[in-house]
Amino acid sequence: MPLKTTTVQIMPVVVLRAAPAVLILLALTLMMLHRADTLPVERLRTAMTDALTPALTAVSAPFNALVEQIDGVTTIRDLKAENIRLEEENAKLQQWYESALKLQAENQSFRELLNVKADPTLNFITARVISDAGGSFVKSVLLPVGVLDKVQKGNAVMSGHGLVGRVTEVGQRSSRVLLITDLNSRIPVLIQNTRTKAILAGKNQNLLKLERLPPDSGMTIGARIVTSGDGGQLPADLPVGTIVSTGENGVWVRPVSDIDRLSYVQVVNTDIDQALATGEITPPPKPAIYKSGK
Amino acid sequence: MDPEWNESLLRVVGRWGLVLLVLTALFVLSAIPLKITHLGEIRPVFMLMAIYYWTILRPSPWLPVAFFVIGLVLDLLAAYPLGMHALIFVLAQWVTGSQRKFLLGQSFLVIWAGFAAIALGAGALQWALFSLFNLTLFSAKLMLISAVLSVFLFPLLALPLSVVHKALADDPSSVP
Repeated sequence: MPLKTTTVQIMPVVVLRAAPAVLILLALTLMMLHRADTLPVERLRTAMTDALTPALTAVSAPFNALVEQIDGVTTIRDLKAENIRLEEENAKLQQWYESALKLQAENQSFRELLNVKADPTLNFITARVISDAGGSFVKSVLLPVGVLDKVQKGNAVMSGHGLVGRVTEVGQRSSRVLLITDLNSRIPVLIQNTRTKAILAGKNQNLLKLERLPPDSGMTIGARIVTSGDGGQLPADLPVGTIVSTGENGVWVRPVSDIDRLSYVQVVNTDIDQALATGEITPPPKPAIYKSGK
Repeated sequence: MDPEWNESLLRVVGRWGLVLLVLTALFVLSAIPLKITHLGEIRPVFMLMAIYYWTILRPSPWLPVAFFVIGLVLDLLAAYPLGMHALIFVLAQWVTGSQRKFLLGQSFLVIWAGFAAIALGAGALQWALFSLFNLTLFSAKLMLISAVLSVFLFPLLALPLSVVHKALADDPSSVP
């Protein structure tokens, strides 16, 4: 017998006719329940992202490769120029590296003299962004690393040289990062030159707003903003941005990192116990010497 | 087993496999980072294209249920208020369904215009719901750009969708 009427036979037509209305009511109810209590939704979300992460990881890599191919078709000449630039930069960075090591040793001896409790060791977990479905209203991304990779809720997330967000949900093998541009993001920061403390708030746009500033705290354009480490979740002194405008409608900060175009990010894991046990700061690995372009 | 039954089972599996493939591709496009879209800020609403197209050319009483479920999964993945994508998808399907008779015999331009209306309406609804959910007035600019981008990409997506449609149309066992 042909399967002409299978679906209709299984489900009475009347029920399916009413389905849209029922589904609309159901969706509205779910939204209200979510508004009332976010915890169950968060749990569900973590379970779902954990389940979808392997598939998204597998699928997003070739997609990205394809887009990169279209995006970055560079000629050999471009690569050569890029290579020369990188070699020069590398030489400069080598010098910086040497002086940083020297300063670190000096710092260490001063700390020992003063008997300062050492900062916790920072571990970096590098991961590729696998999903950013938030669109123009939610600024968050998914990473294919989770509890199994020692990611913890609250960890800072950096891209290159600046803070881009922090981990808000962690599953076994996935985690969600709330970007600093999101409307719900609040980061305790300080202005580097004056050590003035403030809160950096996301406004769902490219610029961030400094809030809770003490009155007459004389902001200058170009001043660097770093994390203050207050609250104990984020490490102190991670670069966040620079002040780009001060005026009647507030003090606005441009993030250091290009948050619009994240691909690889580092989760900064502060391994506090280990640092307290050893009191040591391990020097970062020597920067690799790049022989070719990107 | 009855060979005729076997054959029609194969057809059904093939048919739903094709639909599932298109849906998966659209879902992936809705979720993964596309470097061209500035971290998802302006991302065309790919699912809406499938909803609109299939509601007109391939209506099934299961469409609202399917897109409700897809909407919920997208909500969880994108950290949206649970039910928002689902609500917008079911509403878009409903509105399109109510205009189906009018749209069916029209030229592609009219169908395209209809999609523009649905895309802009869905965008506006999303903006309103988001503002209400967060009790903050969001900027509607990026949402508007996304909707316009969806409208311009619709003919591109309509092509693979029409291939699926034709494959299904050859199948006498498909649901009317």
